[in-house]
Amino acid sequence: MTSYLLRRTAIGLLTLLLITFLIYGLIRAMPGTPLTGDMANLDPSKQLSEEALERRRVQYGLDKPWYQAYFVWLGNTLSGDLGKSIPQNDKPVATLIAERAPATLLLSVTSLILTYLLSIPLGLWSSTHSDSVAERTTSTLLYMLYSLPSFVAALYLQLLFYVKLDWLPLYGMHSDGYEQFTAAEYAWDLLKHSILPVICFTYGSLAYYSRFIRANMQEVVRQDFIRTAKAKGVPPGRVVWHHAFRNTLIPLVTLMGLTLPGLLSGAVILEQIFVWPGMGRLYFEAIGQRDYETIMGLTLMFSVLTLLGQLLADVLYAVVDPRVTYH
Amino acid sequence: MLNELPTETPAELLERDAADPHVPEQVSRGFWGEAWQRFRQRKLQMMSLAFVMFLGIVALTAPMIAGTKPIVCKYKGSIYFPAMGYYVRSWENPIFRKERFRNIYPKNLKKKDPESWAVWPLVYQDPYRRVRKNEWVDENGEGRPGNPSGTKGSPSSLNWFGTNQQGFDVFAQMVHGTQIALSVGFVSMGIAASIGIFIGALAGYLGGWIDILLSRLIEVVMCVPSLVLILALVAMLDNVTNWHLMAIVGCTSWTGIARLTRAEFLKLKQMEFITAARALGANRWRIMFRHVLRNALAPVLVPITFGIAAAILIESGLSYLGFGASPPNPSWGTLLKSGRTAIQQMWWLIVFPGTAIFLTVLAYNLIGEGLQEATDPRLRQDSH
Repeated sequence: MTSYLLRRTAIGLLTLLLITFLIYGLIRAMPGTPLTGDMANLDPSKQLSEEALERRRVQYGLDKPWYQAYFVWLGNTLSGDLGKSIPQNDKPVATLIAERAPATLLLSVTSLILTYLLSIPLGLWSSTHSDSVAERTTSTLLYMLYSLPSFVAALYLQLLFYVKLDWLPLYGMHSDGYEQFTAAEYAWDLLKHSILPVICFTYGSLAYYSRFIRANMQEVVRQDFIRTAKAKGVPPGRVVWHHAFRNTLIPLVTLMGLTLPGLLSGAVILEQIFVWPGMGRLYFEAIGQRDYETIMGLTLMFSVLTLLGQLLADVLYAVVDPRVTYH
Repeated sequence: MLNELPTETPAELLERDAADPHVPEQVSRGFWGEAWQRFRQRKLQMMSLAFVMFLGIVALTAPMIAGTKPIVCKYKGSIYFPAMGYYVRSWENPIFRKERFRNIYPKNLKKKDPESWAVWPLVYQDPYRRVRKNEWVDENGEGRPGNPSGTKGSPSSLNWFGTNQQGFDVFAQMVHGTQIALSVGFVSMGIAASIGIFIGALAGYLGGWIDILLSRLIEVVMCVPSLVLILALVAMLDNVTNWHLMAIVGCTSWTGIARLTRAEFLKLKQMEFITAARALGANRWRIMFRHVLRNALAPVLVPITFGIAAAILIESGLSYLGFGASPPNPSWGTLLKSGRTAIQQMWWLIVFPGTAIFLTVLAYNLIGEGLQEATDPRLRQDSH
């Protein structure tokens, strides 16, 4: 196991190196720099002179070719410094990410918990009631939900709950003047703002997970040990929960590892629609402003999480399934 | 997968032969025939297939459904097809530009040549401009009012799906947007499938260090957040067209196909028929793309179908974010974007394009699922 982990980590580091190199080259090839992004919006009297601009370019190392600048970035990152965001007034990238992460985590963790709480009973129910009318209707509905693009759903929900019913706010995370709210008011306000985003984050994976559980259950209930359990008189509920469901956990655990990067990456379009100050929006803004350091910081984080998630899935696989061992 | 079992049991076959002794020798159906037989039995999947075909017809005949240029007209003694200009700008005869029609056909045709006649599209509306007042005069000599602009263009008998802020007809934009949605799906997945199948085939069949290298490449592309990749590539272009988008989406979404192809090739290259082909002296390219690929095609088609749905989603998402093709671009995502800015008043800019995107994605997903169940022998007993 240890040698396996070491080998995987080494390969992972190599992959990371390649990804960051590729992305760095790519974003440096985009027209414009972090310094020119702001210039267009400034009024001419405040614009920097050529010399001042050149000074700043040297100061931020933008005068170097990208492959040199990449190794400067790599060196800083290895010593634990993710750099500073130029368009955000030299705020450290790590601080920027730490500021935005809670907003995204609020949505993604809530939606993950909801997904598991709802999809497991739903999946079990539909596998035990297969071929009943109610089950078929639910399955079809879930399949349709799975195909409903989240940004279309978000716009529909906004139309319904904001324009038509006026029950929920259109976007944002807080109402105006939330600084003066009491704790209870603050929580209520946050809840109202997060209902629509959480629904949009949840329904797709809910549909996917419950279908996944149902498909796995259908495979398991055909096995001999289920027939044996039924034959020896185990109550049906216990057969489903203890004998069948426990054996579908293996693929479910693997799936869990793969959701890890999704927890922090947010969803760019959804956060854009709900003007939610999370990671997805940060990413989108950073690309628009050519904020090299922030894009690199975020890319590094997502790639590490993706690779870790894959590793975690494989390791968990060996943990829950004693037949699997790694050498 | 090669040796399909007949669907009828031997007992049934015997029974049938007994009932009718003159049964002609039946040619057994091939693998794809079998798959089609199973696919046909599922109602929803067939409906989806019909829907996609319907969309295809709408996309191909868009200028005949909604447009302001005659499909056929006789003008000064010659026959012209001005609606062709919607497909390619230069297919519209230059005579109409020379004679200063300025795209207003109905009035000018009558004015400049009273003898002229024309066959018009079903709906006189244009996806690229606002129809103005009295442009169209009906039999009673009454001029049709122009399209409302601003936020007042709610659906009406003239603008079935309403108009956008500039007064462009939404129905016409959606009909012409079908071309974008369908071609984005097919072209970008065509690109992705070619890259994915080629790389997956090389990695799976050749193995060794080529496999190690290519697998690493697949993993790298998989881990790169696709949005950065797409946005960075789009930002590098001055004038983004839908063809650019198709190429970019195609070049970023082949990894799943490559992985599946690699797995299939790894499995199939151990089979006896490959050994047989090798013994016959077939070279490795012939074995890879004539023998192995044929048998790997069914499982690989499934992610391609799902990929078409995903590509349509990416395109409309990019257009929604404002990173789509440069205007004028009647994409469904662009309509959603203009609807988002006026969500308080203009619900029709969200509801209609949203439904179109949803139904198209749903149809492709259903077809993909039907394909999976029809071609995967392991799922056979599950089919309901």
